[in-house]
Amino acid sequence: MTKLIELLVNGVSLGMLYALISVGFVVVFRSTDVINFAQGSTLLGGGYVIARLSPHTGFWLAVLAGVAATAAFAMLVDRLLIRPLRQRGARHDVAAIVTIGLDVVLLTDLTRRIGSDMLHLGDPWGNAVVNVGPVTIAQTRVAAMLTALVLIGLFGLAFQRTGWGVAMRATAEDTEAAMLSGVRHNRVTLSAWAIAGALAAVASVFLTASPSPGMDAATGQTALKAFPAAVVGGLDSMTGALAGGVIMGLAESLASGYQEQLSFLGQGFGSVMPWVVMLLVLLVKPSGLFGTKAAARV
Amino acid sequence: MSRRVLAAAAAVVLAVVPFYADTSLLQMGLFVCAATIGAIGLNLLSGVAGQLSLGHAFFLAVGAYGYVALAGTDDRAGLGLPTWLAALLAPALAGLAGLAFSPISSRLRGLYLGVATLALVYIGQHVLYSATGLTGGYDGRPTPPLSLFGLKFGDDSGITVLNVPLGQYELLWYLGVALAVLAWWFARGVVAGRPGRGLQAVRDGEVPAAAMGVAVRRAKTSAFVLSSVYAGVAGVLYALIVGRVVPDSFGLTMSIDYLAMVVLGGMGVVGGSAVGAAIVTGLPLLLGRYVDALPLLAEPGSGGVDPSSFARYLYGALVIVLMIFEPDGLAAVARRVRALLPAPPAVRTSPSTSPHPRGGRP
Amino acid sequence: MTGALAVEDVALSFAGVTALDGVSFRVEPSTVHAVIGPNGAGKTSTFNVICGVYTPDRGGVTLGGNRLTGLPPHRIARLGIGRAFQNIALSGRQTVLENILLGRHVLTRAGVIASGLRLPAARREAREGRAKAAEIAELVGMAPLLDRPAGGLSYGDKKRLELARALAMEPSVLLLDEPVAGMNDEETARTAGVIRDVRDRTGVSVLLIEHDMSLVMDVSDRVTVLDFGRLVADGTPAEVRRHPEVLRAYLGGALGDDPGGEPGDTAGGEGRDHDHHQEDK
Repeated sequence: MTKLIELLVNGVSLGMLYALISVGFVVVFRSTDVINFAQGSTLLGGGYVIARLSPHTGFWLAVLAGVAATAAFAMLVDRLLIRPLRQRGARHDVAAIVTIGLDVVLLTDLTRRIGSDMLHLGDPWGNAVVNVGPVTIAQTRVAAMLTALVLIGLFGLAFQRTGWGVAMRATAEDTEAAMLSGVRHNRVTLSAWAIAGALAAVASVFLTASPSPGMDAATGQTALKAFPAAVVGGLDSMTGALAGGVIMGLAESLASGYQEQLSFLGQGFGSVMPWVVMLLVLLVKPSGLFGTKAAARV
Repeated sequence: MSRRVLAAAAAVVLAVVPFYADTSLLQMGLFVCAATIGAIGLNLLSGVAGQLSLGHAFFLAVGAYGYVALAGTDDRAGLGLPTWLAALLAPALAGLAGLAFSPISSRLRGLYLGVATLALVYIGQHVLYSATGLTGGYDGRPTPPLSLFGLKFGDDSGITVLNVPLGQYELLWYLGVALAVLAWWFARGVVAGRPGRGLQAVRDGEVPAAAMGVAVRRAKTSAFVLSSVYAGVAGVLYALIVGRVVPDSFGLTMSIDYLAMVVLGGMGVVGGSAVGAAIVTGLPLLLGRYVDALPLLAEPGSGGVDPSSFARYLYGALVIVLMIFEPDGLAAVARRVRALLPAPPAVRTSPSTSPHPRGGRP
Repeated sequence: MTGALAVEDVALSFAGVTALDGVSFRVEPSTVHAVIGPNGAGKTSTFNVICGVYTPDRGGVTLGGNRLTGLPPHRIARLGIGRAFQNIALSGRQTVLENILLGRHVLTRAGVIASGLRLPAARREAREGRAKAAEIAELVGMAPLLDRPAGGLSYGDKKRLELARALAMEPSVLLLDEPVAGMNDEETARTAGVIRDVRDRTGVSVLLIEHDMSLVMDVSDRVTVLDFGRLVADGTPAEVRRHPEVLRAYLGGALGDDPGGEPGDTAGGEGRDHDHHQEDK
């Protein structure tokens, strides 16, 4: 029973991290109809900046710098690569392929820099744990959960209450109509990309903190597990991203925790669990659990 | 020069390559052949039919491991079939895998499909690592050498032409080139014919395509199956070239490499895939071969930019630039360059075909 | 001859907004039947219901007594419904010839293997298809443009290609959605000629959405008027012209006059989209 509770808590915590990354996918998709395949390597880049700076500046400053760096980078991507495509009216998969090209370049560079090192981002929690009765949970997991909750909550509030949120939702509904009613589309998309970038850097901290061994060149691939979360959530739904993230976190945590009982599925099945869940969901609902299927226009 | 002369010249050049090229060059050429076949397959799916797939590596793995397991006689699970039969069945197996995925793939559109196919790569690789009895796990399995009509594709083939012994790579070279040409010819027929028009219509709009009588889901399924069969053939050839198949090869990187080949050569341009394959597969090997003579490049691990990193920077950047400025790929770039060059004399002397009067040119 | 196309009591709504409300009319064989009405009247929605793109909330469509509603769109196409789209829906990278050949998809059989291996049957079919396509191109006046990519054509030529592709389907009912939008007088006259020719020569019926009233009154045997998703009038052009509700819907009516002053003309969404497209290229 204790084990189950621990697995559930860890699963929710991991799921919130996936949610954090998939909120990044969703804001970008809603405002620009682009799936950003470079999100994983952006996350890796943010983590790299933090890891390199934190011995000199301390952890918190390094995180600030990392967040600023990925946000600025993502804005540059929107401005320099995505906007020209948008103005040309290119098909959406063209932009997606551009982000794949970007991912190749970024990942090659970061892999070369990181090599076979295991980087540590210098978080203050270390191996500390929290005990609630018989249940033991790593402090980083608690911190991850709280951070993700606060960020996603703030984001949801901003989305519902502020002028920026209105512009964002209007853009997602009908870009052209939003622009006609005065929404500055280019600003909306820039802010969406900036948010996605910033969230990636934050997620890198918790994805690589204890009990993870640290950050290596493959961390970006872990981050890609936010894809199933976003897709299961429906790609265009914030609530969906949150729910999808938690579903994936729980699925992965439980499958890993009960590995011995699931040994016929192979060592490390937990880490592919999100992909399996995604395929199962798509089999039943091709537009995800919370997605809206746009009516065909002729 | 007529096209027939050109084709004959190309055939002669390709035929004499094994007499001049060393093993590593031949191997490089073979990798390009296998990649060409795989890239043409992905092009049919993503370029012609507009269905973005990041799962191509999975179907290559089915082809490669399918061949190894069907022909396998080592201590792992294997049927021990004649190798030529295994080489025929393995691509069919890949096609079946594509068909099995169609309940998902034929219902998803564009970007959703791109993400769904990612799952194939991750789940596929997990199976390759875990099902050790079939795949050999982390260390992989050796590829049984191919025998065709009693001809063994090995260094002990016993064939000598003009004092050059034809060993494994020499023989595979002819097979690889023949398969690549066949793959290209078949794909051209499909694209120019009725099924290709249907697929392109699906790409350009599912509703109008259906209104023209194209069964959209069926068309997507057939594109997926055909593309998987091509991947299967490429996988078999790949397994024969490397001699041992390991799970590490069939990851997301391979899928992305194939997508890059298609993009570089031009989405929907069948012949372009060969160019894309040469750049993505051939360039890093070629750079690695001459690394000592090249400034700026360094041996892997020495801290500088190693050849394979350099090649990846280059084609990653090319993918971005082409997608933004010329989505029809290098084929279209070549066309543009040709349009900028002065017209050949034959055209200039015939004013009726030239838009400008002869004296109007500098 | 397949018989009449009957739209029976069709109702359709999107998220509570009514697009069609109990629309019924019959298109008799060998006639030209126009559907007119202001923008948003439900004309294109009617086409989408006939083609199976939308499933109506109530009612349905039959062709010669066989129910079309409920079948997937490609089956409906195979049963003899050919459509030219209002918004250009061509394959821009393909040539004019290839676009017309796509129309023959329903009439041909070659599959992946036959085409890939260039089997004799596939080659014969391709040869016949090219000949037929050239014939159709001749009919609509596009013969010199056969090898041009469709994306680079003028707007009027694209509309003509839409018509040609639908003709290539050899349908028993031809649905034309604003076939002369953006065409000059000469092109319009030619298209009108093609429409009559199709009706007289091959005995198919033509269902026509058009804002150009002189064309409608000129070529139609029967006219159905829609407004806000409801049927306002249905009759011969002369009857419809006199119908009080029609006159009201058209506000003093440009009926039979110059179509330029009419609210739903090409200056609307359609024309604007097109201009964007041209800039992009």
